[in-house]
Formats: sequence, C-alpha cells, structure tokens
Amino acid sequence: MSIAPAELSRAEIAQDLSLDRPWITLVWNDPVNLMSYVTYVFQTYFGYSREKAEKLMLDVHQKGRAVVSNGSREKMERDTEALQGFGLWATLRKDD
Amino acid sequence: MAKAFKRKGGRFVARLDDDEREVVAGLLEQTRQLLAPPYREPTGDPFDDLVARLGLPRLSELADDAPQLPRDPALERLLPSAHRDDPALAAEFRRLTEHGLREGKAANLATAISALQDADGDKVRLDQEQAEAMVVALTDVRLLLGERLGLRTDEDADALQDRLDAAAEDDPQLYLAAYYNFLTWLQESLIQALMA
Repeated sequence: MSIAPAELSRAEIAQDLSLDRPWITLVWNDPVNLMSYVTYVFQTYFGYSREKAEKLMLDVHQKGRAVVSNGSREKMERDTEALQGFGLWATLRKDD
Repeated sequence: MAKAFKRKGGRFVARLDDDEREVVAGLLEQTRQLLAPPYREPTGDPFDDLVARLGLPRLSELADDAPQLPRDPALERLLPSAHRDDPALAAEFRRLTEHGLREGKAANLATAISALQDADGDKVRLDQEQAEAMVVALTDVRLLLGERLGLRTDEDADALQDRLDAAAEDDPQLYLAAYYNFLTWLQESLIQALMA
C-alpha cells in the first residue's frame, strides 16, 4: 500500500491514459541457447503448438528477437520472469 | 565413452563414466554457487533478518554509501535486465524477481547434481521431473561457460572452432570449450528425448 501523490506530473497522467495499451514480452537471440531448446520452452511454458513454437524460435534466430506474448503488464512480468528462469533472454515493454 | 540421453519407458537414460559425471557435476556446482542467493549473516534485528530471508535488501543496504559488490558479468546474462530502455523499471523488476529466480535456478542445479550422484554405475536415469530440471540446469551452465568463452553473437559461436584450432595446447579456454561442446551434445539429446 502507498500514499497517493498530491499531484501527478504530466508524464504520469499520460501514462495513466494509456493503461489499455498492452504490454509485450520479447525473446532476444543469443549464441548459446539451442534452437531445439527455445522451441521446447515455448511449447512447455506457453503451451504453443510445435508449429507456432518453431516459427517464433526461427523469428528469434533470424530477426534477432520475437514478440512471444502480449497482455497486461503483470502477465508480461510473469512471462518474462518464467522465461528468464528457463535461461532465455526475455524482456518486456509497452507495445508501440 | 558417453552415450546420449534416450527415452526408455518413462525414464531418460544416458551413460556417463566416472570422469564425465564428475566434470558435469562440478560445472553444475560452480554454476549453483554463482547463482544461489548470497547468505547473509543474521544481524539480530528481527525485522532486518526477516527482510533478508525474503531476499529483499535491508534498510542499511539501501543507503547511498552502502558497499556495492561488482557483479560477475555472467550474472548479467543469467539474470538479464528485463527492461532494455528503462533502468528504473529494470531495477524494480530485479528487486522483485532476482531472489526467486536465483532460488529456482539453484534448486534445479541441485536436483541435477543429485541425479548424477545417484547414477547406477555409469547409467544416469532421470524421471520426468529430474529431466526437466536437468535440461534447464544445463542451459544455465552453458550460459556461464559461453560468457567465459566470450560468446556474445552467433558469429562468435561459429568462430569458436577456428579460435580453438589456433589456440596453444595449454590454453585454459580449450578445456572450457571442450566442456561447452560436451554439454551442448548432452543437452541436445535430452531435449530431443523430452520432445519425442
């Protein structure tokens, strides 16, 4: 719990207005993780089909990164934490 | 001669001799020690100690002049910044997740080490849960070795063999690279068995 600030800055108001904008979880390419392992993680953690998991893995490998999930900030934080637990290079940000 | 993981019934079975099991368990243990949340001496202050057990910084550690230990660069890869363009959000994410991530990784590594120690002769037999812990543990070890070998890009990884061919016989990087390649082979077999 926290105390509400007496006044909001312009930036904070702008942020509040964009609450409905979804957040995304990204996975970045790295030279160590095996292609098979990245596919395995996408299937195991997200429950994605083999086909979808392989497509995302190839995007990571060839384009350097892929958006692997989207939704609320809280959900993307959970996804990022879980993927980092698997050793993938995962980050999150607000979609633009 | 090592034999890769294969699924046999509900088990995942590989053959690793004494030396191979010792090397793999040793690397898993080094990674576990790097990742295990640092032990903090109790201060006697009940609140401070409770906070420390939860993995949160103590008030005394939040002071601007509190000593900051340099982080091992491998930790930056094992526990990367979650927000690329926002250091404040990244720090908040780290504060909330780092302790749990370290505990989870350390527990996986401990499970993998015991599974190797419980081998029946040269036969390493894993149940589903142990196999899932082992495949993640091998990832963390390879990330650590990859960092020590300076693998930052796909090109670095491709060039590793050429670099090794040119290395002197007593270059310690040769050992690291040999372990790295062995673990890659072992992990690939376990992934294929898990996905079969």
